[in-house]
Amino acid sequence: MKRAGKYLLLLTVLVIAVAPVYWMLTISLKTEVDQFASPPSWFFFTPTLEHFYDAFVMRSFGQYLVTSALVAVVSTASALVIGTLAAYSLARFRLPHNLDNKLSLWILSTRMFPAIVTAVPLFLMMRDLRLLNTRAALVIVYTAFNLPFVVWMMRGFFAELPRDLEEAALVDGDSRIGALWRVVLPLVAPGLAATAVFCLIVSWNEFLFALVLTQTDAAMTLPVGIAGRVTQYEIKWGVMSAAGAVAIVPILVFALAVQKYLVRGLSLGAVKG
Amino acid sequence: MVVLLSLSIYPLIYSVTISLQAQTAEGSVWSISNFKRLFSDSFFLTAMAHTLVYAAAALTVEFLIGLGLALLLNSQIRAKGFFRASLLIPMMLPTVVVGVVWRLMLNPNFGAINGTLKHFGLNTENFTWTASPRLAMLSVIAVDVWQWTPFVFLVLLAGLQAIPQEPYEAALIDGSSRWQTFRYVTLPLLKPAILIALLLRTMDLLRVFDQIFILTEGGPGFATETISLYIYRTAFRFFDFGYAAAISFVLLALTNVISTIYIRLLEAKEAS
Repeated sequence: MKRAGKYLLLLTVLVIAVAPVYWMLTISLKTEVDQFASPPSWFFFTPTLEHFYDAFVMRSFGQYLVTSALVAVVSTASALVIGTLAAYSLARFRLPHNLDNKLSLWILSTRMFPAIVTAVPLFLMMRDLRLLNTRAALVIVYTAFNLPFVVWMMRGFFAELPRDLEEAALVDGDSRIGALWRVVLPLVAPGLAATAVFCLIVSWNEFLFALVLTQTDAAMTLPVGIAGRVTQYEIKWGVMSAAGAVAIVPILVFALAVQKYLVRGLSLGAVKG
Repeated sequence: MVVLLSLSIYPLIYSVTISLQAQTAEGSVWSISNFKRLFSDSFFLTAMAHTLVYAAAALTVEFLIGLGLALLLNSQIRAKGFFRASLLIPMMLPTVVVGVVWRLMLNPNFGAINGTLKHFGLNTENFTWTASPRLAMLSVIAVDVWQWTPFVFLVLLAGLQAIPQEPYEAALIDGSSRWQTFRYVTLPLLKPAILIALLLRTMDLLRVFDQIFILTEGGPGFATETISLYIYRTAFRFFDFGYAAAISFVLLALTNVISTIYIRLLEAKEAS
């Protein structure tokens, strides 16, 4: 009896967690008549793909999708290159006065910074640099935004590796960078991949900076495109849901890929799940 | 490092400068008028109150449900991995999509919630959720709880699974009750994980922007306007960047003080 109660409780929680997302997916597949049906039809309706066609072919959502993907990939790649090098030096070289620990803590603190606080000066900076409404602005900001995270995560992965391996490579006449590239990186590859996926997720989901820095179709990301339509008076619910459905697909794939590292990544390495 | 510095420190210096300048007919002059204005600005004070209410309410509920779920899933349960993975869905979604999802759910006319309630014979005329001044705050808090309880749950579950078996065996031998075991064994050992979860959630809650922006844009009226939304409105609707920077500093100071307290607590824990 008690066992049954447990499962019933878990099942309820599960339904609460998943049902709203499922509801949006059904809306994206329903005709407008079915969308406004009362009582709401959760299961039985005639599916249609017209909203997807409308959103991605007739409207600019296809373009937003390309921008989102491009910005996420480029900023993740650059954050990984710079961040991994920084993390490696933080993990391997001791600085005087415990400075490396302080540096790491400072890196972490930039991560907890309220985004809106930097949004205002960044907007003004980008305006002065004439980078408003460009994808470049987003790439720069996301790289900077993801860097502390990459440094912090990779430092943890590097610290777990024994030094002997690279030292052996160094003795064999390899350079530092060579040892890093040929010996260390292959060993931390899973961690590196997980970190990359986290950066991709963060960039893909990011909203505030994108909202502030891009207002034109040419540079808008998917979240900003969706938000722009949602806050208008007459809302095309089917189109919104279709765009939303497409926006969550890569996220679900990514999340599954990094399940093992999820806790560690989300708690910024503080809890090793 | 230089990139990082220039993009995290430079904006700060920049905003100190603009917050300390006032626009006059002759151009900008140094002045603290932006900071003085804070104390008599009722929008600012209400936004502050909203932020604190929002953060406190959401944090409490998320922590209690998250802890309960973590304890539940830490016991003998079948299909544990399946439950864990499914519960993660809300938290991974882009907040913008969460906003869309809940606008669809809460829409008073065709939303799934009212539709389902009506189906069971309830009068839903007054349940206008995000459109009602009284229910709007409750709605946005509920959405945050929906999205972020899984995070608290996940961190606490990881914390629980890291606790070794021995203290429990000792407690069992000493004949302690289940509540005593929880209170004197589980809670103290879980404290680091709890502090981490609360720290990260508090920081996110204090700066909340995306969901509220999509769900209500701070409305109806200003019923759900938090500090971040007020800064956004000041900067990008009224283009008063100096004042927006001044409000930003209050938010920054607040998050700094609170995170310092948490980190002190964590360090004290690690030292002992």
